Amino acid sequence: MSAHVFRPREILGVLAEHEVDFIIVGGVSATLQGAPITTFDLDLVHSRAPENLDRLLAALRDLDAFYRGQGDRRILPQLSHLASPGHQLLMTRAGPLDLLGTVGATGHERGYEELLPDTYVMEVIEGRRLRVLDLSMVIALKEEAGRDKDRAVLPVLRRTLEERQRGQGQAPPPAEGLEP
Amino acid sequence: MQPNEPEWVGDPPPNESAYSEDGVDLTLIRWFMGLTPAQRLSYLEEFVSAILEMRHVGTRL
Repeated sequence: MSAHVFRPREILGVLAEHEVDFIIVGGVSATLQGAPITTFDLDLVHSRAPENLDRLLAALRDLDAFYRGQGDRRILPQLSHLASPGHQLLMTRAGPLDLLGTVGATGHERGYEELLPDTYVMEVIEGRRLRVLDLSMVIALKEEAGRDKDRAVLPVLRRTLEERQRGQGQAPPPAEGLEP
Repeated sequence: MQPNEPEWVGDPPPNESAYSEDGVDLTLIRWFMGLTPAQRLSYLEEFVSAILEMRHVGTRL
């Protein structure tokens, strides 16, 4: 049903409708800030506050979310999974969705609250202002991870950050749809 | 002007200026940064969807 689609706008729209608190991280975050890279999933760090987990679970039900890579078994995410600092690798009716309790290298894990100072609010889809991890932190996390797939994309991310800083100063301007 | 006639004829700038020292195409970054965030997400979504669709329907000859 969802193996050949990637509609991050639909996923983000459903999460926003349910008023879920989350931060867009990873490749989609970098793309939103101007990096011409391709990614095939949507990575989000969600708030693990109990009331937010209830909203998130309701949104996931709307999105028909289940765990990817489980063969014929259709395992649905539960509150206890979402409350953990681990990564929930899900498939939805709008494509892959990775919900990350924390990100960062072992011993330096950061959750929603820790990442908030490094985020901006951006109009990602019409009428929806969502929180995005700043490109400099996206780069820092990929440097920290040090995996081949992260290293491969770092040159484009670094040059994108340089272009942004050269053209617009250190901070992304409100004209681009960003605000602290 | 004829329909297929280019608007301007001349030599493009040298390609060296288009790339960073580590080989990144800066023209692509500048073009993409010229879009709004919503346009960038839309582009990504349509691009990836097109790739997935081609992979799905494609057959090896």
